[in-house]
This record gives sequence, structure tokens and C-alpha cells, in this order.
Amino acid sequence: MIVSLAWRNIWRQPVRTTLSVVGMAFASLLLVFMASFQFGAYDTMKSSMLKISDGFGQFQPVGYKDDPEIEKVIADPAALMAEAEQIAGITASTLRSNGFGLLANGERSFAAAIVGVEPGLENKVSKLDTMVERGRALTPDDDAAIVLGEGLARNLRLELGDQVTLLGSGLDGSVAADVLTLVGIFKSGIPEIDRTIARMPLQRFDDTFAMNGAVHIVALSAESVPAVERAEPELRALAARHGLVYLNWGELQPGVKQAIDFDLVTSLLMYVTLVVVVVFIILNTLYMSVLERTREFGVLLAIGMKPGQIGRMVWMEMIFLSLFGNGVGIVLGMALTGYFTQVGISFAGMEEIYAQWGLPSRMYPTMTFGRVLGGPGAVVAAIGVLGIIPYRRVLGLTPVKAMAA
Amino acid sequence: MSNPIVTCRGVTKVFGKGDLAVHALAGVDLDFAPGDFATLAGPSGSGKTTLLNMIGALDTPTAGEVSIAGNRLNDMNKSQLSDLRLTKIGFVFQSLNLIPVLSAVENVEFVLELQHCPAAEQRERAIKVLEQVGLKGMENRRPSAMSGGQQQRVAVARALVTKPAIVLADEPTANLDSKNSSDLMDLMAQLNADLGITFVIGTHDVSVMKRSRRHLEMLDGRISSDTRR
Repeated sequence: MIVSLAWRNIWRQPVRTTLSVVGMAFASLLLVFMASFQFGAYDTMKSSMLKISDGFGQFQPVGYKDDPEIEKVIADPAALMAEAEQIAGITASTLRSNGFGLLANGERSFAAAIVGVEPGLENKVSKLDTMVERGRALTPDDDAAIVLGEGLARNLRLELGDQVTLLGSGLDGSVAADVLTLVGIFKSGIPEIDRTIARMPLQRFDDTFAMNGAVHIVALSAESVPAVERAEPELRALAARHGLVYLNWGELQPGVKQAIDFDLVTSLLMYVTLVVVVVFIILNTLYMSVLERTREFGVLLAIGMKPGQIGRMVWMEMIFLSLFGNGVGIVLGMALTGYFTQVGISFAGMEEIYAQWGLPSRMYPTMTFGRVLGGPGAVVAAIGVLGIIPYRRVLGLTPVKAMAA
Repeated sequence: MSNPIVTCRGVTKVFGKGDLAVHALAGVDLDFAPGDFATLAGPSGSGKTTLLNMIGALDTPTAGEVSIAGNRLNDMNKSQLSDLRLTKIGFVFQSLNLIPVLSAVENVEFVLELQHCPAAEQRERAIKVLEQVGLKGMENRRPSAMSGGQQQRVAVARALVTKPAIVLADEPTANLDSKNSSDLMDLMAQLNADLGITFVIGTHDVSVMKRSRRHLEMLDGRISSDTRR
């Protein structure tokens, strides 16, 4: 009956309770939607950036990221690929080799990062192929072919079908020299990539740079960033077994991670402020209700109810109210977020800026258990904890003083 | 005379300290026997509510002793006092007696719930006692849908349902018209006669005083007269 009494008590003042519920529901709705949108946007940013070139994760030789010497190789990548693709959430993998050299067209030459890729598999990991603006992407039948970033092609004054001379240093110390035909020019929108990257078939790269079957990177594709994050412990263990390291998205794109972390901190401050404001408004409302009922509590004490029982009843009222308000907010928040999950949100005038970073013009919120329940859960938990305040007040009541109130 | 239900010996209650100290009770010696139907009267500030609070285990004396049904209050902690009130004492207050969000039957059941009485027995006993106080058919009404007299009857029912040793009523008729006041007194007198439960009623109402078999007057924290009829 005390549970039933607590529930009925919160509806004694229906207008006040309704206003409290509306306030909490609105705050919860905002928390659910904002968290889902914010983290959805982060996921979009991460996956967009990673899909351009890096992939969702990479296996590399130890120390290769900081000091990418051609001698640091993965000698037997086939076994690694096979094992990696067995891990839940991993959808594809591809091999890459990197070399640094000069690309020359007549008297013009520029330093470039030469990437050997598997044309049949690369497009499952990277979407650079879809960014080819002129010509075409590499195909499995290509041999002496090369695709350049738009800036690099412009600097070298190359047109499709032109031949470009490659000069570098092979794995065995020999001179790596080749003449390749320009078959495509891509534009990622990221100047650093467009000015420096040249892609050629991995097999040709292997011959030119005397790699002898070794590669520098095994790049992975996954269902999503959260999926690859869940698989991370397994991927790291696999890398360790092969004497390699596994790099996650944050290690591959530290700039993006830093930007997200900074944005997250500022957003968290906002979320915390919202939670604190809501919690104290509700606490104030319920504390008022406790003060108003002091005489009634005196009667309850007189008829034999113990202060602890009354305190628990008041605490229960707070929990009920917060669960109800936040429950309504969660349902409404999920409905709103669900709608925008389908239609997305477009920020007018930002399309070009987004495109420069390889981001789509529409952002889509994504709901997860944590994003939906995190904010409202914090409100309920905070109210639950702060329920100690009215509880302690009730504990201090004596029948005579309370009835005289 | 059988063993008293309530025994007060030298009961003193002082509120405040030093120059601001108020001696609400100044050494009260008093017994109530099983089946007493007593009224307690006196001018405002005479100490009758303070004395009722002592007898009701709502407060403890500064000096002296109070025993209720053999339980010495001075030796009891808060929790034990709560249990004593729950099991041995019934209360009827002047107003705001009932829990407004509970129906009449639920208000009566509530004290049985506090005693951990089985649910089925709670309902049976509550309905029976409501019938005894003349509220048959009104079990599911909330206090707001009942008259002042009916609400006081529910309070009496709640006080009786635990089969207490004593029922204390502080100005139970103060907010009632004369008809309802008379009806309530008839009810309490009848229950006293039928069940043998001790009633102690604090009142200013002369018509109430006339209905009692024992009348106590208080003045300046002492019993100034104790008349049996």
C-alpha cells in the first residue's frame, strides 16, 4: 500500500506534477535527441574520414606509423587477412604498400606518397575510387597504371593517358623506377591527400619496389565505427600474435579524435548543466511537497508509521516522478530521433564545407542503448541520490512538532 | 480496581530553557483504568494537549514516569514508541486526520498494513469496523467526498481497527456541528460500552464533557479536579 500511496501522492497536485513531468520529459527528450545526433554526427565524421583512405583500422609493423621506413613490412599478410576477416564486425580487408618517391613529367617533378593498392579489394575499404573525377579508378586488370590526386596531377601538368615517371628506393636498396600511365584523377576534397597521393596496383608496386610479397599495411573495413570499436580487443590480440600493431580510428586520425574530444567536453558541460538544472527544479518541487505535508506526516507518525517508512515513501515519490517524466521523455525523444534517423538533418549553406571533409550534406542521428538512456538515466540517478535531502528531513520529524507545523 | 491502562507519576514537561522555560506539566499523577470514558478539559495553556501527547507516547516527559499498558515510555526509543502507538493506542485528532489520497477503507487498512496484517484480513477487518461506525456503503469514498462527521467516524474506525488499549481523541468535535458532534459522541460512548476500550477525550466542549463518566480539569499543568459520575 505504501507503493500505491507514494504513486497517488505525486498526483495530489496534478497541475504541479504535470508541469514537473513536462519539464523532465522535455529535458530527457533533448538529452536523447542531442546525444543521438551528436554521436551520430561523430560516427559519420569518423567513418567518412576513415573511408576516404585509411579504413576503419589498420595492422602495421611496429613503429611504422611514426617512422614509415620501407623496410618495416608485414611479411606474410595473407594469414593475417584471413584471421581478421573472421572477427565479428569486420567486413573486408585489403593490403597496401607505401613508398615515397618522385613523380616526374618532363622537367617537372614532385615528391609523392606512392600507395600500392589491390584494385579489386581496395574499394571495399576506401571510397577514394568513387572520388575519381576524371578518367577511372584502378581495376584488377591494370598493370602499369596510376591514379593521382587532383593537386598532384595539376602540379605535374598531367592529363589522362600521359605517362609519368616514378623514381624511388626499393626494399632491397635498389632504385625503384617505373613508367606508368595516368588513368584517373581523384579529388577527395582534402588538399593534403589530393596534393600527395598516387595509387598504383599492388602487384606492380611489389615489382617496382622489390617488396617480394611483403606489404606495409592491412587496412580493414567494418560494419560501423562502433562495431570495429567492439572488435578492438580481438584485433589488438591478433596483431600481437603476428608481431604487429593495430591502429584504431583515433590513432589513424588523431586530428579528428582531438576535435571530437574537444567538442564532447564542451557538450558534456552543457548536458551536465541541463541535468543539474532539471534535477534541482524537481528536487525543489518535491521538497515543497514534503514541507506542505509536514502536519500529515505528524499524523502518520502518531498512528505508528516510522520516520524511515515515511522517508522511504517520499523517496519513492521522487523516483516515481523522475521515472515517469523521464520515461515520457525517452519515448518522445526516441520518436523524434527515429524520425530524423530516417530523414536526416541538413544544415543549409554548410554543404560545401562538409564536402571538403568528405562529409555528407545530411547528418543522421543514431540511437544506441547508451545514447538513449545515458542522459535520462543521469537525471533519475541524481534525483534518486538527492532524495536523501527530503528523506533526512522526514527522519528528523517528531509527531508533536510535525503536527504543530 | 484492575491494573490501569495508563499510569502517570510526577509527570513534568518543560519546554525551553532558562528564563524562557515553560512548565507545561508540573508533576501530574494520574491513572486511567480499562473501560474509562474520560474527558480532559482546561483553559488554553493548561497542559491538556501536552498530557494527551504523553499518554499517547507522542512525547516523553522531562521528569516523572508514564506507563501505557505496562510499557514504561521513559525506557523506550523512537522505534519502540512507534510500535507502541501502532499496537496499543488509537488516535482521533481535530482535523486532517485522514490520508486524502486513500479511500475510507484504505485509510482504515493502512494501520493494519503497518502491522503487517495479511491483505485479506485487512480488508475484512476494515469493512467490519467501518460498518460498526455507521459507514457501511461508504468504504470507497475518499475523505474529500465525505462530511466532517463522516471523516471523524473513519478516524474512529482507524483508531479502533487495531484493537488498541486506549483511544485518545484531541478535540474530535471541534470542527463539527452540534448534530455531528452529538452523533460522534454517541458512537464513541457506544464503542466504549460495547468493546470496553478506554477513551480519553480532550475537549473544550461542555456538551462533550457532560457525556463522559469521568471528567478531569487541568490548570497550570496540574490536574485541578478529577470527577467520576
